[in-house]
Amino acid sequence: MIGTKPYEFMIKYTPQRDWIEGHGILIAFALFFGGIAGGLYLVSLYFDSLLGMFIAWLLAMVTGLTDMAHLTKRARFWRMLLKPKTSWISRGFIVIWLFLGAAAIQLAISFWADGGAAETFFKVVGGIGAFGVAVYSGFVVGYVGAIKLWNSAIIPILFVVAGVTGGLALLMVVSVGETFLSWDVAIALRWVLIAYAVCMAIYLWVATYESTAARDAAMRILRGNIASVFWPLVVLLGIIVPIIMLFASDSTAVFVISGIFIIIGGVALRYCILKAGVYSPLVPTE
Amino acid sequence: MKWGMAIEQKRCVGCYECVLACKAEHFLPPEMFWNRVLIGEKGKYPSVTKLIFNVRCNQCADPPCVKVCPTGASQQREDGIVWVDEDKCVGCSYCVIACPYQMRTMYEDGNAQYFPGQELTEHEKIGKTLYPHEVGVVQKCIFCKERIDEGLAKGLTPGVDRDATPACVISCPTKALHFGDLDDPYSEINRLIKEKKGEPFHPEYDTQPSIYYID
Repeated sequence: MIGTKPYEFMIKYTPQRDWIEGHGILIAFALFFGGIAGGLYLVSLYFDSLLGMFIAWLLAMVTGLTDMAHLTKRARFWRMLLKPKTSWISRGFIVIWLFLGAAAIQLAISFWADGGAAETFFKVVGGIGAFGVAVYSGFVVGYVGAIKLWNSAIIPILFVVAGVTGGLALLMVVSVGETFLSWDVAIALRWVLIAYAVCMAIYLWVATYESTAARDAAMRILRGNIASVFWPLVVLLGIIVPIIMLFASDSTAVFVISGIFIIIGGVALRYCILKAGVYSPLVPTE
Repeated sequence: MKWGMAIEQKRCVGCYECVLACKAEHFLPPEMFWNRVLIGEKGKYPSVTKLIFNVRCNQCADPPCVKVCPTGASQQREDGIVWVDEDKCVGCSYCVIACPYQMRTMYEDGNAQYFPGQELTEHEKIGKTLYPHEVGVVQKCIFCKERIDEGLAKGLTPGVDRDATPACVISCPTKALHFGDLDDPYSEINRLIKEKKGEPFHPEYDTQPSIYYID
């Protein structure tokens, strides 16, 4: 359950390191930024917040830059556009660029010439792109059959729900100046947070039944070396405290603090899932 | 033509000669292994079995590493050998993550040396010019494709002639490793796999490995 010693490589459950250690930690941030960018744009469309859409556009840009920062050969980043037929990273990279383009046009139209058919068209295209940005990271990890915890049909759903939750939290924070908007967002966020918690519980519960490797990984999150991040940051700070705060009060300070807590919890969720990824042992010793 | 390997488990004594031969052949830096000897134990005293598995890239017919690669750097030749085009790799490590056998390595530390603080060995110096590995790209076993290609050009037969056969296979002192053409029904490797009921390592991963293990 703890770290793997060199002589235990593939004899015991072996944690993946490439996407969590060293500069691999950027992948956790890329997954987070992708989710919150897509989620924020979608909820901003629903609540008609131009500021939220603009921040979502900036965050999508950060997602792409974080993905590129993780590469060891950054000058070749354009090559990641070449294999959309089979690679989810390639598909995601294309979706991010398409979203950036469509959302930029939509933002310009909404700012300078709103109300026309063109605005509606680009909002629809941008919304589809935003959903793609939010969901692709779930498919990137979900496609990895070698890591049973990740190889789950629930993970793209969880990442989208987490993205929408983070998006609502961020929209609530940035719209505190607009009282009615932040109230509406806070009301929606209460119920979305509960849905997010249910989704996460189902994901981990199913993981304990899927395979021994997925169970081992889920146990690392729930009781092992990752529990010290999961329970205080993801569950307590990211879900329980904000739910209590949002049901108890509707003050501006509560909106800002609970929003920040949810965002921290969202980053921690991606960290926990990546950190818990383990490979099944190759040598059957048990 | 599809190259494959058969490994006779009972013959392997875990001497690591294949690992060293691979390191020497490809001038692999420290911390990088294109093949490994995994040693585990099964059971409890007094009924304990020692398990030795000589592992390397399985050159899968359906390789997940090639599918997930976003740039096309991970490729598969017509003869089944999976390799990485260093000029195309961006270092995203998705292939490292996707390999269920964990047989890919990201080459990160270009300054690592076998005797830190001392001068590079002659072998390391030669390797840096003769067989340079690009830092920041993914590395893996390539079934010694250079030896195979050069051997075939000379009219040699891989798996039969030493000069056309992977270094790990020809270095094995117990002849536990066999190499040959899986598409040739009369090849020695096919006879071995058929007669001794060779099985791929973890067929449940569903990647159709080209390496077979024989008890």
